[in-house]
Amino acid sequence: MQQAARADQAFFETVEGPAKGVIYIYLPGGMAQQESWDPKPLAPAEYRGPLGTVKTKLPGVEFGATFPKTAAIADKCVVMRGFTHGEAAHERGTHNMFTGYRPSPALKFPSMGSVVAHEFEPKNNLPQYICVPGQPNEFAGTGYLSSSYAPFTVGGDPAQNGFKVRDLSLPNGVDDARFTRRRRLLDAVNDHFASTESDDSLDAVGSFYDRAYGLIGNPKAREAFDLEKEDSKTRDRYGRNQAGARMLLARRLVEAGSKFVTLTYGGWDMHDKIADGFKRSGPDLDQALSTLISDLDERGLLDSTLVCVGSEFGRTPKINNTAGRDHWAKVFSVLMAGGGLKRGVVYGSSDATASEPDTDPVTVMDWAATVYDRLGIRASKELMSPGGRPIEIVDGGTPIEALLA
Amino acid sequence: MTPLLLAAALLTSGPVAAGPDAEASAPNPNAAPTAVALNVYPPAVHLSTARDRQSVIAVLTLSDGTTRDVTADAKFVAADDRFAKASVGEDGGFTYHPAADGVTSVTVTYEDQKVEVPLTVVESGVTPPVGFRNDVMPVFARSACNNGSCHGAARGKDGFRLSLFGFDPAGDHFRLTREQSGRRLNLGVPERSLIFEKSTGAVSHTGGKLFEPDSEYADLILSWIADGAKDDGADPATAPPACVSLDLYPPEFALTGEGTTQRMVAVATYADGTDRDVTHLVAFNTDNPITAPIDDAGVVTAGPVTGTGGAEAFITARFDVHTVGVPSIILPKNVQFEWPEDKTPANYIDEAIYSKLATLRIKPSELCTDAEFVRRAYLDLVGVVPPADATREFLENTDPSKRQALVDELLEKPAFADIWVMKWAELLTIRTDNNVLTGKEAVLYHRWLKEQIDGNVPVDQMVRELLASSGGTFDTPATNYYRTERDTLKTAENVAQVFMGMRIQCAQCHNHPFDRWTMDDYYGFASFFAQVSTKNSDDPRERIVYNRNSGSVKHPVTNKDVDPKFLGGEQPDFANDERFKGRDRREVLAEWLTSEENPYFARNIVNLVWAHFTGRGIVEPVDDVRISNPPANEALLDALAQRFIESGYDLKGLVRDICASRTYQLATRTNPTNVADTANFASAKLRRMRAEVMLDSINAVTDTSEKFRGLPLGSRAVEIADGNTSTYFLDTFGRAKRETVCSCEVRTDPNLAQALHLLNGSTVHDKVQRGKVVESLLKGEKGQDGAEDIPPMEPAEVLAEITARCLSREPTDAEKKALEEALAEGEEPKAVLEDYFWAVLNSREFLFNH
Repeated sequence: MQQAARADQAFFETVEGPAKGVIYIYLPGGMAQQESWDPKPLAPAEYRGPLGTVKTKLPGVEFGATFPKTAAIADKCVVMRGFTHGEAAHERGTHNMFTGYRPSPALKFPSMGSVVAHEFEPKNNLPQYICVPGQPNEFAGTGYLSSSYAPFTVGGDPAQNGFKVRDLSLPNGVDDARFTRRRRLLDAVNDHFASTESDDSLDAVGSFYDRAYGLIGNPKAREAFDLEKEDSKTRDRYGRNQAGARMLLARRLVEAGSKFVTLTYGGWDMHDKIADGFKRSGPDLDQALSTLISDLDERGLLDSTLVCVGSEFGRTPKINNTAGRDHWAKVFSVLMAGGGLKRGVVYGSSDATASEPDTDPVTVMDWAATVYDRLGIRASKELMSPGGRPIEIVDGGTPIEALLA
Repeated sequence: MTPLLLAAALLTSGPVAAGPDAEASAPNPNAAPTAVALNVYPPAVHLSTARDRQSVIAVLTLSDGTTRDVTADAKFVAADDRFAKASVGEDGGFTYHPAADGVTSVTVTYEDQKVEVPLTVVESGVTPPVGFRNDVMPVFARSACNNGSCHGAARGKDGFRLSLFGFDPAGDHFRLTREQSGRRLNLGVPERSLIFEKSTGAVSHTGGKLFEPDSEYADLILSWIADGAKDDGADPATAPPACVSLDLYPPEFALTGEGTTQRMVAVATYADGTDRDVTHLVAFNTDNPITAPIDDAGVVTAGPVTGTGGAEAFITARFDVHTVGVPSIILPKNVQFEWPEDKTPANYIDEAIYSKLATLRIKPSELCTDAEFVRRAYLDLVGVVPPADATREFLENTDPSKRQALVDELLEKPAFADIWVMKWAELLTIRTDNNVLTGKEAVLYHRWLKEQIDGNVPVDQMVRELLASSGGTFDTPATNYYRTERDTLKTAENVAQVFMGMRIQCAQCHNHPFDRWTMDDYYGFASFFAQVSTKNSDDPRERIVYNRNSGSVKHPVTNKDVDPKFLGGEQPDFANDERFKGRDRREVLAEWLTSEENPYFARNIVNLVWAHFTGRGIVEPVDDVRISNPPANEALLDALAQRFIESGYDLKGLVRDICASRTYQLATRTNPTNVADTANFASAKLRRMRAEVMLDSINAVTDTSEKFRGLPLGSRAVEIADGNTSTYFLDTFGRAKRETVCSCEVRTDPNLAQALHLLNGSTVHDKVQRGKVVESLLKGEKGQDGAEDIPPMEPAEVLAEITARCLSREPTDAEKKALEEALAEGEEPKAVLEDYFWAVLNSREFLFNH
């Protein structure tokens, strides 16, 4: 049955595209578009909010006042101001932004990172899909795909002194020779079981053991996780805080061969006192993000590394009576840079009060198709879900031509 | 849904049920199957008014349990042919149309089979006007206009919005007729109405052309507009009768061979007792579009099936607020199958399973070995691998009933209760957090739960006490149920999910598209929890949960208070009925929930228990009972639930039955017929141990202990009261955080971090060293308090002891040889054996329950 279905499955060979890696910076809670990439300085006070704006490197384009450094490199970025999906509940919006799909009661969709892990072999023994610091939500997992495509999580907080990814090195008292002996003994035990049992769940465990051996045996791959290997000037430049450490780690991982690194930063569900919230969380994000993009560019990696800054939705046009903004999914903004996209583009717009898309609305599907396209994955390719049902990687989106370099 | 009759047919004609006498007449599997029954659907034809019609199908059941759609070849003869005219459509559909009022019967004949169907025609001269509610709304649903991806989206599509799946007909009528007045409908020239031009593709439409301008759907829309586009349901007094049920025929079928077809017929019944053929108005769906695709006309076509076993598909139809489904089986052609005679059912569980397997032409696996059984029973019943001595004792025991005896013994261990306390603690989301429970509340709540399970309190009684609880969170700990979740709607959702296995969340905002739940059901159910309130106690750390006897929930469409109504049951009359008058709504709900009036409670509990022992629910996932997710084996679920109720909700009795079944005792190894089956329990499922059980087992075999927050040193992970207490190991291996009631919180998927942790991390490496098991076995031990000395062991004996502890078996030759080779390299035995211990704990055989 499965075989027959595969014959009908839309298949496209995945070949590496201009983007060799993706850094997906996810801002949980729903970041306000008005205070970040789509301010409305000309709107009435209750719409524009109290923070003010800052001019960017792009003529006539302004960002929220807490992002001066990112504004200064806006000429390297793409800002989509007409992003829309209409799902104003956290879990549903999050689902959209991690899977490229609307939630379905019938099927659990894989995250984009897991799809990427499915489409590309691991490079340099590094996991294809890594979450920093942990898997941020259930939608960042494998969905209907095998759990072998689950994200590798670094565990601890990279901003902490002495941060080390757990269990990467052999324990004290075990050298390579002893580890080899252990593995020989383990093979003897596993061989017995494998001779009588076979199941996908066993193979999945086995494949992760193989990957672990690869990682343990490759010092270069292990170093990718080690922020200590970075000089202190660079660490300062990113910021010795959560945003900075996570983005620096993401850069190291992508540079070393990981394909899709997801990191989260802050909490942006600012129903109350949104100005205070942005003043608290904005500056670190501004510094780290602008450094990440500049650093990638200086290393010649920006054109092959796609940076995406997303959130589950935007926030209400009007400031509410607790000086915050509530959930708003009709229009919000997503920022991207590099990875085979044009530089310095503001794509689409929202209306005068950031209530509705005005021009060039971008759907989740179009965005996801664009990201996949830059990686070399055809969004209309079908993957096999349980019951032998082929499912398109993205349901109907098309890459946004105007953004492709 | 009926249990699979097909299977019974096959079994009674097959070797398994045939006694010695019957053997001579047992059918030759190579002989062509013979006809055993002819059924015509619907079982009675009612035609009322000139607009009515009824499509009819004839289905032949064969001796091998398969069915054939023989409508085209059957002869239909009416005793009196004046009343109805028959027509055969271009696509082969057979339909009766009214001609004159009267009553007769139709004799349907196919080969030597014959069946009679009553036919009634009334009001054949009357042509009623096309109504909005019962005629036009179904066209929107059928054409998918009001789907979530089209105009049913929360903000509509391209400027026009319909309520999702039609949950708000009055609102839809308003938007059609009043929004942008005159644009969407043109009462003067109906053909110029925008909805007509869009849906027939006359003007550009994102959704494309939905039907032909001369189609029946188009006719309905045009007639309705021509009649003034009224909402016939606006005034409840004159509203048309509501649709009360939907039937889909045939009730089950089994096709043989690619390309064979079965036509479906859907009949709606209305509140006034009339029925109507709605085959052309329902939205059909199949859960297996490859093997059993269905077209708009309702014809299922058998697709390709690889292998020899059958494939299953569930066909559903949605109409109005009703969704119904029928199970079907698609078999490959020319498969020879004989039920293996040596596999006799051990109890009613096996009977139900075998019946289904026989229909699917699947043979169950062999029984597992004693060594596998003892390990499996320990892991499932008491959550830890068996001690080496217990394994040896069991293997040496020659009593044929020793498996049953072992289960009985394990059932009495305190650890058995601990497993179920843990599982219930997950369902009740016992965890400390700000705005959830304080430490003291969590501990008291957990202790209360433990008392219930330890005391073998029947689960219905426990649930009644829990849901109806009032009082302080310290002195009446069951009240913490209303502290873990404080939102009325979420509480109702949780109760439905935990105690009935149903997710009713969808119906908060719209009628459930794949299930029967409407918004009325949802808010009626939530209303039971609308009067729960809390207040301060004398102790500032404690809260008091009480019933404030007032308060309600509002229906978001009507904005009116909704009276409590049992989910899928009656509406208790709190004002007048003496049984309910003046009582706490929750108490009334809890009584209904655990009564036999509610069919879901017992089924849900037995399904949870079944899933624990087999790794897969009969309904899977266990908390997603819905019409479009049918049980893998209805007869089994029904039988388990029935026994469970009869036993007075006795958990241990249920476990005893499950463990006594041949099905539970099957090997994980498969045969060619069941290798592809995952849903029908034809072989045991390999299950990675859950996080707590794995950690407890590692501690047990390495003689080490663990310190969890709030528990004494040496406590087991399954005993942790608080979902918020965890360790890196438990998190990494997927322990439930108990943040939601979802069964998906417990994860057993592998990942890279797990492999790295077992290879390099502290759990295995350190515990092997710290527990000094290898060291003391090599050295021997002085007997304490008069006990015998334990003599020192040779390395080969230590190897056997480690293997027995962890894997409940003897070491293999390959393992012995690997040890010898390692020792021959000159390394000291202790280090080599510790490496072997490490290897065993990293092996798949250890990590999995098999």
